[in-house]
Amino acid sequence: MYEHIQTEMSIYDKLNILSDAAKYDVACTSSGVERRGDGSGMGNCRKAGICHSFSADGRCISLLKILFTNECIFDCKYCVNRSSNDVVRTSFTPDEVCTLTMQFYRRNYIEGLFLSSGVMKSPDYTMELLYATLYRLRNVYNFQGYIHVKAIPGADQRLIRMTGYLADRMSVNIELPTAEGLRQLAPHKTRKNILTPMKLVQEQTKENRYEIAVRKNSPRFVPAGQSTQMIIGATPETDFQILNVAESLYDKFELKRVFYSAFVPVNDEIALPAVKRKGPPLLREHRLYQADWLLRFYQFRASELLDEHNPNFNVFLDPKCCWALKHLEVFPIEVNRAEYHMLLRVPGIGCKSASRIVKARRMGNLDFQDLKRMGVVLKRAVYFITCQGKMMYKIKIDEDYITRNLLNTKERLPEGADGMTYRQLSLFDDMNFGVNDAFETVSGKKATI
Amino acid sequence: MKRIYVCHDTLTGIYSALHDAWVESRNDDAGIRFRGKIQQQFFCDYLIVDENEVKAAKIERLIKRHLGYNAYWAVYHALLSDEERKAEAVFHIMQEARRIQDSHKIMDHLGDENVALVFELSRRVSNESHMYEEFIRFRELQNGVLVSEISPRTQVLTCIAEHFADRFPLENWMIFDRTHREALLHKAKEPCRILLDAYPDSEMLGKLSDDEKRYEILWKGFFKSVSIRERENPKLQQTHLPIRYRDMMPEFSGE
Repeated sequence: MYEHIQTEMSIYDKLNILSDAAKYDVACTSSGVERRGDGSGMGNCRKAGICHSFSADGRCISLLKILFTNECIFDCKYCVNRSSNDVVRTSFTPDEVCTLTMQFYRRNYIEGLFLSSGVMKSPDYTMELLYATLYRLRNVYNFQGYIHVKAIPGADQRLIRMTGYLADRMSVNIELPTAEGLRQLAPHKTRKNILTPMKLVQEQTKENRYEIAVRKNSPRFVPAGQSTQMIIGATPETDFQILNVAESLYDKFELKRVFYSAFVPVNDEIALPAVKRKGPPLLREHRLYQADWLLRFYQFRASELLDEHNPNFNVFLDPKCCWALKHLEVFPIEVNRAEYHMLLRVPGIGCKSASRIVKARRMGNLDFQDLKRMGVVLKRAVYFITCQGKMMYKIKIDEDYITRNLLNTKERLPEGADGMTYRQLSLFDDMNFGVNDAFETVSGKKATI
Repeated sequence: MKRIYVCHDTLTGIYSALHDAWVESRNDDAGIRFRGKIQQQFFCDYLIVDENEVKAAKIERLIKRHLGYNAYWAVYHALLSDEERKAEAVFHIMQEARRIQDSHKIMDHLGDENVALVFELSRRVSNESHMYEEFIRFRELQNGVLVSEISPRTQVLTCIAEHFADRFPLENWMIFDRTHREALLHKAKEPCRILLDAYPDSEMLGKLSDDEKRYEILWKGFFKSVSIRERENPKLQQTHLPIRYRDMMPEFSGE
């Protein structure tokens, strides 16, 4: 019966079903590896990655994001494809995936392939199929573009290793921030099962670095590094816990990225929070990404941004502003003398402008006009810096005063976050009642206004 | 009297004008205008420039040697932009470079308005060409050739040629620039060529291959199904993907 269904289904339906099932995977980046084509096939890679389109939800489409199959023996409660759900099941063949990728790529629709999969029959069986697909794509179709592939937890180490030599980036989803959450919502997955392949990829990458140092032309293992993703808002973890998990993943597993995915309910399930009415916690996801950047590029530690007494991010102010307001004793800092890592901590100064400042101040003293030209966001930075001993305006170094002014800079906040719950009605409004409640899920400390 | 050099708005033309201006009036104020876009002024000498490759090569060499490669690429990109003052700005930064201590650092001298303009123009062109690397869509003709038509504001073709030649070395493809009536042609395993005064043959472009429609439909289906309904945000989509690029993209046609 099953074979019959599979042969009958058109490639159009398969693509719709299997891309629809893959859309909850966040990672669609094609960055991290620079590779020129060798002239014998098709494709190259750019270090910064290239987005080729943007879907209606504003997320970039860079890779052809599909599942190999949505058949799954696992029963994770948050997933559309769990074994207990009654959905149409289908699978690609390796050849179908290859032709789709090549044909989309040559029309410049995509930057490469993102191949994930449900677990069909067993983890080993599925991983083997993924390997076979990548092998065909690389060696028969001569594809040199970007490939992101999932390592299936529980699959044989050798299979994962061999697949890694064909892919650019590999990822294992950690799914939920704590082992407790995982036990509740994903009964077939264990923390250990997820971390084993992650460790394997990390160690193999290290080994590969030596190989490349000795022989320049040896094959590269996962050159764009590995990433993972966590679902936010399906379990009651605090932002502090989540950020700590992310930090230890960066420290211990040398991940390139940790992605956060606001929980979108797709199953009616008692174990899951009922956020259907409120919509996914997008603002919370946004704050986590901001903090993630602070960890990776701004030399912050998770323990500086949050602690047990303040376990969640502020709804109104971004994490960097919050940190600055809590540490007014170190401000204002003198732009012409402060160290690079202190410049990075000033709201309104980013990595680029901080390094520009460091370079430019060798030539002479800087004033506020120069800072503006270098790309410093003065409306945020003025409260925290001096140029040649002077502040731009007369400013009180006072938490309430600065908070009030920072809130006035009109960072675009979602409607309702400013406490205004009413607005002018017009006849043609489609009042989306309930949308405003989304922010209740983000129980941040209210700013003092 | 102020000399104004008149040339075509092409790289060779502008470089030739820069050459003449540099030889004859590098110590005076001089202007460079484009044919067909001149508003006559009093007290000016209008000189028609004799354009040729030799002059262009000379001035390019001069810029590379005295202003450095960094400035050369900034100038190159700026001259491809749609700004009328671009050639004059380049002439003035060449003059300005003689005044500062280390002429190779001319592009850091952002306090000068001409340097700032050249910098901004070069950013404008390279940003737009990056957009086209992202959003160009090819359609396959019956003879297997991949074709794309674009209407950019600046002359991006030479900037994107390298990228696509490296990406599709075994394909025959072409990109038409409708705004500037130029075409970029690539034959399999050969370097790219630019065709000036190119008019796309609409009859030939209409003959799409049988597969083309199929893959377009597949792509449209994918584009729809990959979006998460609960997160829809058209404003965000528009910031990343401005509407003016959408007319060539199949996923936005027919809606």
